[in-house]
Amino acid sequence: MNKQLTESKDEELIKEFQDNNTLEAYEILVKRYKDPLMNFVYRFVGDRDVCTDIVQDTMIKFYLNKNSYRSFAKFSTWIYTIAANLAKNELKRRRRRTIFSISNSDDEKTPQIEDKMFLAPDRSADGEIKNEIIQRALMKVKPVYREVVILRDIQDLSYEEISDITGLAIGTVKSRINRGRTQLQKLLKHIYRD
Amino acid sequence: MNTIYDENEKKHSQMIKNLKELPQIKAPENFDYNLMTRIRNKNFSSFEEERKHFSWGKFLAPSAIVVTAIILFFIFLPPSQEINNSILVQPQRVDSQSIVGSSNVIKKENANLSQRSNSPAAPASEAAIPKTRTRLPINNPRAISLDDYISGGNINQKEIERGNVVKSGNEPAEFDEFFVTEKPDQKTLEKYRAKIDSIKKAQMRADSLKRMRKMP
Repeated sequence: MNKQLTESKDEELIKEFQDNNTLEAYEILVKRYKDPLMNFVYRFVGDRDVCTDIVQDTMIKFYLNKNSYRSFAKFSTWIYTIAANLAKNELKRRRRRTIFSISNSDDEKTPQIEDKMFLAPDRSADGEIKNEIIQRALMKVKPVYREVVILRDIQDLSYEEISDITGLAIGTVKSRINRGRTQLQKLLKHIYRD
Repeated sequence: MNTIYDENEKKHSQMIKNLKELPQIKAPENFDYNLMTRIRNKNFSSFEEERKHFSWGKFLAPSAIVVTAIILFFIFLPPSQEINNSILVQPQRVDSQSIVGSSNVIKKENANLSQRSNSPAAPASEAAIPKTRTRLPINNPRAISLDDYISGGNINQKEIERGNVVKSGNEPAEFDEFFVTEKPDQKTLEKYRAKIDSIKKAQMRADSLKRMRKMP
């Protein structure tokens, strides 16, 4: 792989891909963003297979609509926006399916928060289970709050970046993060006591 | 304002720490290979499906049907005013007996009203009784002889303006109805003539008496 390209910035790579249709530049960007996007989408959707499909679709959309990217925006926020929109569409589709299906197969997929009463203290302390509980609790948080909490607390993005991705004002982003955290804390009250 | 958010971060610090420590989810090993295969084979089925989901044709076809139905509804449905149009209704047969009958009814009603006004409980009862306007079958001053109107032989042609016959707007039309000219029978005519003659004679007598009194 071209060393010069590998060391290039995201914005330089996308420009190269836009101008010269260099597939190598595209592949480098895919390599850079596939894992962060997988993490973000998984935490948002809560299903690994669906998450892989969404990230694949994100990359395809990026490939097909490369010219819709404008150089004044950060590439990372642009690709996160695509992934977030696809993830939201998936949630909407699921909700529609849940409403119209007679036998609700999605019920099995709906994460349930384990009650502390049913967990042995040693199990409760186990990190893996704790992570699972946190993930399930995250899925119970309203999608509008969940999205910003994931972007801020899991993906470690700045308020400005989150504002660009979601298209919300920074104040709204902050208040949504606040509400999302409060909701999550309530759901996990058996883990975190004030 | 920022201090509120800072306080919030402090409040949830343990939870935020745990969220940051969540294991990073990584893409499957064959992710790149699958993606590049899809791109090389131009296998963008999910996006084509998405495009199929929303097409202008699908959107416009039902809306065009709805719009057409609304237009047809307004074109072919007769307006409610036309349904009650008195011209379309078969004209009522008007004869002299009905006129005489109706005038008798009016006289009786007037007599009743005068009796009520003379009685002591009249004001209270008057308020209770809604005022009804008796209507003659033909509103003579506004009525038009249809045959004359068409033939142009009407004497009061100037008075009968178009506005009197057909009136638009929300105001109720002043024109009541057309009447059909019918030749009254001879007996009724004679009866009316006799009545008119007797009234004239009575008036003449009254006038002559007045003159007599005035004379020195």
